[in-house]
Amino acid sequence: MRAAAPPPAAPSASTAPRPLDGVRVVDVGNFLAGPYAAAVLGEFGAEVLKVEHPIAGDPMRRYGTATPRPDATLKWLSESRNKKSVTIDLRQGEGVAIFRRLLERSDVLIENFRPGTMEEWGLGWKDVHAVNPRLVMLRVSGYGQTGPYRRRSGFAHIAQAFAGLNYLCGFPGETPVLPGTVPLGDYIASLYGAIGILVALRHRERTGRGQLVDVAIYEAVFRVLEEIAAAYGLHGTVREREGAGSFVACPHGHFRAGDGKWLAIACTTDKMFERLAEAMEQPHLASSGLYGEQRRRLAARDTVNQLVGEWVAARPREGVLARCLAHEVPAGELNSIADIFDDAHFQARGNLERVHAPDVGDVVVPGVVPRLSATPGRVTHLGPTLGDATDAVLGTLLGLADDELARLRHHRII
Amino acid sequence: MSAIPSPTPPAAAALPLAGIRVVDVATVIAAPYCATVLGEFGADVLKVEHPLGGDALRRFGTPSARGDTLTWLSEARNKRSVTLDLRHPDGRHLFERLVEQTDVLCENFRTGTLEKWGLGWERLRAINPRLVMLRVTGYGQTGPYRDRPGFARVAHAVGGIAYLAGMPKGTPVTPGSTTLADYMTGLYGALGVLLALRHRDATGEGQYVDAALYESIFRCTEELAPAYGMYGTVRERHGSSHNDFACPHGHFATRDGKWVAISCATDKLFARLAQAMGRAELASSSTYGEQKTRLAHCHDVNEIVRDWCGSLTRQEVLARCYATATPAGPLNDIADIFGDRQFHARRNLVAVDLAETGETIVCPAPVPLLSETPGSIRSLGPKLGEHTDEVLRDLLGLGDDEIAALHARRVV
Repeated sequence: MRAAAPPPAAPSASTAPRPLDGVRVVDVGNFLAGPYAAAVLGEFGAEVLKVEHPIAGDPMRRYGTATPRPDATLKWLSESRNKKSVTIDLRQGEGVAIFRRLLERSDVLIENFRPGTMEEWGLGWKDVHAVNPRLVMLRVSGYGQTGPYRRRSGFAHIAQAFAGLNYLCGFPGETPVLPGTVPLGDYIASLYGAIGILVALRHRERTGRGQLVDVAIYEAVFRVLEEIAAAYGLHGTVREREGAGSFVACPHGHFRAGDGKWLAIACTTDKMFERLAEAMEQPHLASSGLYGEQRRRLAARDTVNQLVGEWVAARPREGVLARCLAHEVPAGELNSIADIFDDAHFQARGNLERVHAPDVGDVVVPGVVPRLSATPGRVTHLGPTLGDATDAVLGTLLGLADDELARLRHHRII
Repeated sequence: MSAIPSPTPPAAAALPLAGIRVVDVATVIAAPYCATVLGEFGADVLKVEHPLGGDALRRFGTPSARGDTLTWLSEARNKRSVTLDLRHPDGRHLFERLVEQTDVLCENFRTGTLEKWGLGWERLRAINPRLVMLRVTGYGQTGPYRDRPGFARVAHAVGGIAYLAGMPKGTPVTPGSTTLADYMTGLYGALGVLLALRHRDATGEGQYVDAALYESIFRCTEELAPAYGMYGTVRERHGSSHNDFACPHGHFATRDGKWVAISCATDKLFARLAQAMGRAELASSSTYGEQKTRLAHCHDVNEIVRDWCGSLTRQEVLARCYATATPAGPLNDIADIFGDRQFHARRNLVAVDLAETGETIVCPAPVPLLSETPGSIRSLGPKLGEHTDEVLRDLLGLGDDEIAALHARRVV
C-alpha cells in the first residue's frame, strides 16, 4: 500500500566531488549512536565499511518496521545508507587479526560497545593506535569511556533521561514523556562524533597523529540544554516541565485548529504578540493596559492562551496560518508524517528521497543534511545485505585469496 | 558548587582550528552555536553585532548582574565582540573588508536580507573566493516557505517531532527544550562548515551551507518517513513509552516521588529486568519472554513494572537494575545533575568567574571530548563591542582617529 504522493526521484544522484572522497571509515557499531556519524561521513564521500558479526549482523537489521527482506528493517535501510557490509567475528582471534589489518588501511574507526569490550578483544585505543598511529577513533557510549558509570549500559532513552532532557518533557506535575523520538540522543551524539572526527582529521593532516574522540550520549544531550546549568548554579532554579508552552514567553505553544489539526505559535517578543493581535483582529489585546508586555502575558498566561486557543479553534489550520503569516507572526504547521509527505516545501527542498532497495522496492528516506552548495552529499544506496562486500574488501584490500576466504567462511570467522 | 572545576587550560598541542577566522554575524543560538563549536576548537570567532543592543541572545533568558543573560555568557564563550551597523554603507564596507580576511561566515538573517544590503553569496564570494558561508533560516534559502519567520518551536512542529511528543491523543508538548532545533542546526552547520573547509583546503574553492531549522529536526526522525512511505503508518504520540517496538520502555515513578527510565529493547534485557524485580518467571516463554507477547500485553507489563518501581525508592530501583545490567537510569533534574558523580568525573560542568560582578557562571563543558586537542573555554560571552577597537586596528589597520569617527557616527 502506498499512502503518499511520490516525492521526486533521488535528486542527489550526481557525480560532483565530495569532501571525504578517499577517506575510509570502519564502522563496527550497532544501532545508531556512532553509526549515524558513519552514515553522515558516507553521504559526503567516505567509504564506510560496516563490520558486522557473520551470523547475526547489526541488531538494527531487526529493530523497527519489517520489510520483505529478513535482514533489513526500514530503519536499517535508511540509516545504513551508502555503507558496505563486511562480516568479521571479533570474538575469534583470527577475526581480530583481519580487523587489525583493515585498520592499517583505514582513516577512521567508529565503535559503540560497552566500554571495556574492545579492550577485551585487544582493540582498545592503545592497541589500535599502535596498529595505525594516523587512525581517528570515535567511541560512543551512554556514559563515556571514563567516570564511575562508564560500564553501565546506556541506550539513548536512558542517556536522555540521565542528561536531564526527558525530565523537561511533558506537562508540569505529570508523567514525563519522550521528547518526540526515542533515539534523539543517538543522533545528537553522532553529530558531535562526526564533528569530532572532522576536527581530528584536520589535526591529523597537519601532525600525522590520530586521536580518540570520546562521546557520551548523555553529555551530548546535556550540552544542548542552554542556560539550565548556569541558572541552577547562580540562582538554584530547577527547571520543570513546560507542557506545550514556555516559561519565558507567551503565547508560545501548540494550538488545535477547527479542523482538528495542530499548529505552533511562538511569540517571543512584544512586537510579535502585537502582530498576532492584529492577525486575530483584536489589536486591543496588545495594548499596554492589557497584554502588551511579556511580563503581563506571562502573569495571565492561561487567559492569553485561552484567547489565542479560541481564535485558532474557530477556523481551519490553513486559515489560521495564512493570517499569522500575513502578519509575520512566527507560526507553522505541527506536522504528522502524513502532513509532511503532502507539504510543498518538503517537496521543493527534496527532503524526501525515493531510493530503490533490491528485493524491497522503493523506500522513502530523509535526504542529506547539511546541504552544501559545491559538494553536496548524496544517498547512493540503502542499507546493504549482510556481508555484501566481505569478499571484495578482504580480497581486494587485504589481498586474501579465494581459498583463504572460503576457509575463513567455513569457520564462521567472516 | 565548590566541587565544580574551572575550565581546563587549552592543550599544549595547537588547537585544530587555530588560524581559522570565523565571523559570526548571526543572532540567538542556531548559527552562532556553530561558531561556538569552532571557537572551542581554536578558531578566532568575531561576533559582529549591531552597535545598539547587539545580539538578542544577550536578553534571552535569565540575566546576570552584568545585564547579559546566562545563555549569552555561556554560549558566546571564546568570542570577540565587534560592533558594526550593516544598515550603514560604511558599516557594510568594513564588513566586506573583514570578510576578505575570513575563512567562515555564519549568518541567520531572513532570506534576502544580506542580498538587500549587497552582501549576498555572489558578492561575498567575489570578495573572497575561499569563503565558507553558513546560512541558517527556519526553512532554508529555497522553497515556497523560505520567507516565513522561523523559530525553533515552529521547526519542531514543522519537522515532525512535536507531533510525536506527548500523551496519546493529548496536546503535543515541547520536546524537552524549546531551543533543540537551534542547537541541532548549529551542529549540522558545524559539520557542513568543516566539510566545506576540507574541500576548500584541497581545491581553494569556498561554498555555502544552506541549513534549515526544520530539516535538522526531520533528519533525526529515523524510520518515520520510510514507514509512512511503505505502509502508510502515521506514527502518533506514545507518552513515555515506545510501544511500537519495545516493552517495557518508559518512565516510571518511584516511591520517593522521583522518576526512572527503563528501556528493554530486547528479550535478553527484559530477562535481566525480571531478575532485578525478583520475578525471573516473567521472562519465561509462556509469560512475557518474547517482545511480541509483551507488546501485545504492554499495558499489563507496564503495570507490573510501575507497581514494582512504586514500591521502592529511586536509588533502590536503580541499584537492582544496575546489579543485573538492566538498562535503567534516573530522570535527572538539574539539581540531580549537579550532585552526580559521573558529571563530576567527566568534568561536564565548569565554573567560570565573571570578574566584573563576582558571579560564578556554571557552563556545560565543550563536547565532544578529544584526546589530543580537547576544546576549551577561554572566556565567557564578551561585553557588547568589547573588541571592536582592537579588531578595527589590528585586522583592518584603522587609525585611532578613524575609529573614533566611526564611533561618533555610530557605525560601530
